[in-house]
Formats: sequence, C-alpha cells, structure tokens
Amino acid sequence: MKMSEPARLHPVTIMLTFLKQLKESLIPFLVIFVLGLRDNGLGFPLGIVLTVLFISSLLLNSFLSWYRFTYRLEDGELRIEYGVFIRKKRYIPFERIQSLDYSENIFHQLFGLVKISVETAGSEGKQAEAVLAAVTKKEAEAIQKIFQEYKRTGAAGADEGLSAEAKEETEIYKMSFQELLIMASTSGGVGVVITAVIAFLSQFDEWIPYEKWTKEFIALAANQIFLVSIFLLLGFLLAWIVAVIGMMLKYAGFTLKKTDKDLIITRGLLEKKQITIPFKRIQGIRISENIIRQPFRLATVHLESAGGSAGESGGSIMIMPLIKKDRIKETLSPHLQDYQFIDEFIPAPRRSLKRYLFRGFVIALPVLTAPVVIFKGWGLLAWLLLPVFLFWFYQKYRDAGWAVNGDQLSLRYRNIVRYTVYMRRRNIQSLSRQATYFQKRKNLATIRASIKSGIGSAGGRVVDLEEKDAAFMYRWFSRTGQKETRERPHGS
Amino acid sequence: MLREPQNRISEWALTVWRITALIATLILALLTGGLIVFIILFDWPLWIAVIAVLVLIAFAYFSIYLIPLIRWRRWRYEVREQEIELQHGVLFITRTLVPMVRVQHVDTQQGPLLRKYQLATVTISTAATVHEIPALPIEEAEELRVYISQLARVADEDV
Repeated sequence: MKMSEPARLHPVTIMLTFLKQLKESLIPFLVIFVLGLRDNGLGFPLGIVLTVLFISSLLLNSFLSWYRFTYRLEDGELRIEYGVFIRKKRYIPFERIQSLDYSENIFHQLFGLVKISVETAGSEGKQAEAVLAAVTKKEAEAIQKIFQEYKRTGAAGADEGLSAEAKEETEIYKMSFQELLIMASTSGGVGVVITAVIAFLSQFDEWIPYEKWTKEFIALAANQIFLVSIFLLLGFLLAWIVAVIGMMLKYAGFTLKKTDKDLIITRGLLEKKQITIPFKRIQGIRISENIIRQPFRLATVHLESAGGSAGESGGSIMIMPLIKKDRIKETLSPHLQDYQFIDEFIPAPRRSLKRYLFRGFVIALPVLTAPVVIFKGWGLLAWLLLPVFLFWFYQKYRDAGWAVNGDQLSLRYRNIVRYTVYMRRRNIQSLSRQATYFQKRKNLATIRASIKSGIGSAGGRVVDLEEKDAAFMYRWFSRTGQKETRERPHGS
Repeated sequence: MLREPQNRISEWALTVWRITALIATLILALLTGGLIVFIILFDWPLWIAVIAVLVLIAFAYFSIYLIPLIRWRRWRYEVREQEIELQHGVLFITRTLVPMVRVQHVDTQQGPLLRKYQLATVTISTAATVHEIPALPIEEAEELRVYISQLARVADEDV
C-alpha cells in the first residue's frame, strides 16, 4: 500500500458525518419541522420543504467534506488537507505524535473500518490533533506500521510500510464477564443516567407543562403515597438497569496490554476503543474504592496521564475497572516498576480525630437543621442521621495516611470514595503544607501534592497529619534549602 | 520546624490592598446609606440600620486594617537555584514548594493601582498549578521573571 499518495477516507464517512451533524442540529431541526407543519396559508407544507432542504444541504456538506479530505504519510509527517470553503492543510511530524488511538462504532464494525485519533503532546483541550474518521483496517495497520517503524528507528525514510516485526504485546489484565457484571452494577452510573434524563427533559420545558405535572404529582403523592413510592422505585430501577447495560457495553472485553513503550487499553462492544498511553506520560497512579465495593475488597485503578485530549489518552484513565485490592500489587508491579504499591501508611495522630469529627458535625449542622425549620417537630427525626455523618468523618480520619518510599510519595484519603495516590517525586508539580491557627496549636498540618493530569491537575490532599510528618514530606520534596534534617520523624 | 522563606513582598502592597479595600468599603457604605434612607422612608424597624452600620464598621476594620496587615506579614518568598518557596495566607497558612524544573513559564502583570506604586504581580505556572507573588517592586519582578525563566529553561522531558 502506497501511503505517500493522497488518500480519501472510506465513503462511509459521508454517512457518519451526516449522522453526527444531524444529531448536533436535532433540536433546531425539530423546531423547524414542527413549526413548519402548521397551516401557514401558503397552500403547501413549508415544514416538509424546509426539511428536505435542510437534509439535502447536510448531505451535500457531508459529501463535500469527505471529498475534500485527504491524508498521506510523507517525509515523516502525517499530512492532512481538508475544508469545503476554506482549504486547510495540517502537517503533523511523526515525532510530535504521542499515540494513535482507535475506536469503532457499529457502522465501522459493519464495514470493517476503524477511526484513528492522533494524539500529540500539544493537543490540549477536548479535541484530538487530527482524526481519520473511517479507514479500512488494512490501511490502519499500514499507518501504524510506518508510525512504529519511525518511532523505533527514528528514520525519516520509513515509508511504504517496511516489514516491521509485530511488536511484542504482554497482557496485564483482562476483565472477566463476572467482573464486568459486578463492576457495572456497583458503579455510580445511575446518577449519570438520572442527570442525563433530567437534562434531556429540561430541553423541552417550553412545551411540556412540568409545573402543572409537578403540582398534580404532589397532589397525588399526598393521597397515594404507596403508589407513588412504587412508581419512583420502578423509575430508579429502570435508570439503574439502563446504567448497568450502558457500563457493560462500554467496558465489555476490557483488556490492558503493554509493549515496551506503551500501555494499550482495548474495550467496548458496540463502540470498540483502543487507547495507547506511552509510559513516559504517566504522572501517577490512583486506586479508588467506593463504598459499595470497599467491603468486598474491590477497587478501581486509574492512571494520571499528562498528554493528549481529555478522556482519550490524557487525564485520568481507567486501567483496571475492577480488581481485588490485594491483587493490584502482583498484577501491576512487574509492569510499572517505577511504582511501589504499598499498603502501609502512617496515619493521622489520635488527637486529630476530634477535629475530623468536629468538621463532620459542622457539615451535618445545616443539613440536619433545615428539616427542623421546614417540618417543625417531625423534622427532628433528621437528627437521627447525625451518627452517619460522624461515622463518615471517623472513616475519613481512619483512612488518612501518608508514606514516603525512596522517590515515591503515597497519600491516602477519603472524600466519599477512598483514594490511594502514588506519585513519583519528579512528577509532582508542587507541594504545599497548610496549617490554620488551630492546627498549629495542636501541631497538625495539611499536605497537598499536585501532579499533571491531561490539561488540568490531580494529586492528593490529606488533612490533619502530624506537623512533623508534613515537614518531613516538605523536606523530602525540597531540592535545597530545607534539607538540613532528613531523618524520619517516627514509624516505619 | 521549617525555616521561613527569606524575602518579603513590597511594603507598598499594604497601601495597594488598603486602597482596594477602601473602595469596596465605600461601595458598601453607599449601599448602607441607601438602606437607611429606605428604613426612614418606610418606617422599617431601626435595629436593621444598627446591624447594617455594625457590619459596615466590622467590614472596614477587617478589610482595611487587619487582613492586609496579617496578609503582608505572612507573605514570604524565596527563589533558590532549584526551587521556589512561597508562604501566604491569613487563616490558612500555606507553604508551597515549586521545583524549578517544573516551571513552565513566568508572567508579570500590573493593574492600574499596582502601576501607580511601581509594583507588579509575578505569576509562576507549572504544568498543573499556578502560583502568584503579589506586589513586588517592578524591577525586582522583572529581574525575577528573567531569572526564573533562565533557571527553568531545562528540557522538560516528561512534564
């Protein structure tokens, strides 16, 4: 296959572009259609005429943008030329390309095609630097071969698909169906579905008399409390099932592999995705245990990656959706040798428990007082929830911890989910130690470490640690100046 | 205990902050005045006016006098060959270390007030965080900007 000749994408692109544009303009389109159906006194249905015009202009635009879009690999660059009215050229040198990510939706799968997203170090924001919307698998392979050959040898002449040996791939982790099921049903996806439904419905509040419905619903709720609860329960159940199915489709066949330079993730059923993360972009590792999974010693592992566009190979990337906590170390440490997956932390001192509980009380106060103000007497029942808040903050206290092992800082803390973050010293962008007057009086301090993640930042923050410990971490991070004393304060 | 960073920011910062707070206080005073007019016109209870005036006085005391003073006393910075160290905060006292190799760029900026007093704010950006040193004398800020960007000009192989 000669890749230096300008080539077009697969014609299916026309349909993909058309569908995408249709989806984006669905609401104005519906408005035009509905308004046009009204009797306008012109004697012909304006709505249908406008619809035909609208759709054919979209089709024409999709066709033209496909026709104008060409790509080629030439002189060590990916060269793309596109644009209907304004012709644009974009040349991306291979050495700037961080990774090629692949995805296939149903249409791609029907025709044996694949979408390639080209990620560069500079592609900040949500968009990839360049996207080849649909190419055949053969072409994709040829592109990847040239790209890899180039990366390996650094040769600019690596053209024409030199027979690069298949690179060695080691499988690190594969999610079983059972794990997929557990993962999907214990994720927080329900919330997302419910929010999405509400957001979708609110698009139509001009036309649908929600207020009237709400009033009727409240009237109904007063009479038929049992019926209404069952109705709500069913709604919630439905949302949950939708969320579970959505998660299962998204994460089906989740596999984590590695080559000598990259981690490769493949996942998805209807929409297959392959994401490549170069090892050198990894900024830190985060283990999350949500409250449903933690009792079963199950956890999720994310990477913080520096590059690429958000959600693809940049930002927080899930590398293991569900794994037994005690298996994380044995699974990952052979492959991510820069990291030590320790599980022993130096806790917050006993005297900070009071401060944690106090904070829990302060947060609970308005939440529990509101019902008393609104419902008077019975509202007092809300105060039965106080122990829940206190227990939550007790758990926060229990989970707070830190450790320094050589060049690695590990922080453990809980918001609602419990997080364990492993960071290497050279990836930490800044480290802060914070203390209020009250903390100072008790010799306590808060520590915060920031690392880069996608275009933003991630990291960890642990509250009310021993001041000596915070100072130790501070000195550990300091290059000069604060180095005078470096012995461990206490413990391990 | 950790050693404090050595350098203070310009004493004129106090003046700038106080002028800013004074402007805010004046606006609040106008609002309070308006409220008192309403209270007299519509025979609202007088204690509202008393509370409003007390709030105004407290606001003026804290924002013009106390907070700038504490803030200025607390502000320390130190630029060393390999790192920058900052200390600031009124209630939450924060000490921050930024390694030189992680610095991506340094900016100086001036508002009209800062310009009047020949001051500038230095902003230090890493790949993930942004840090600010407010109100340095303009020459010092300029020097610092050049110095930091020279020191930071090390290849950032892995961000």
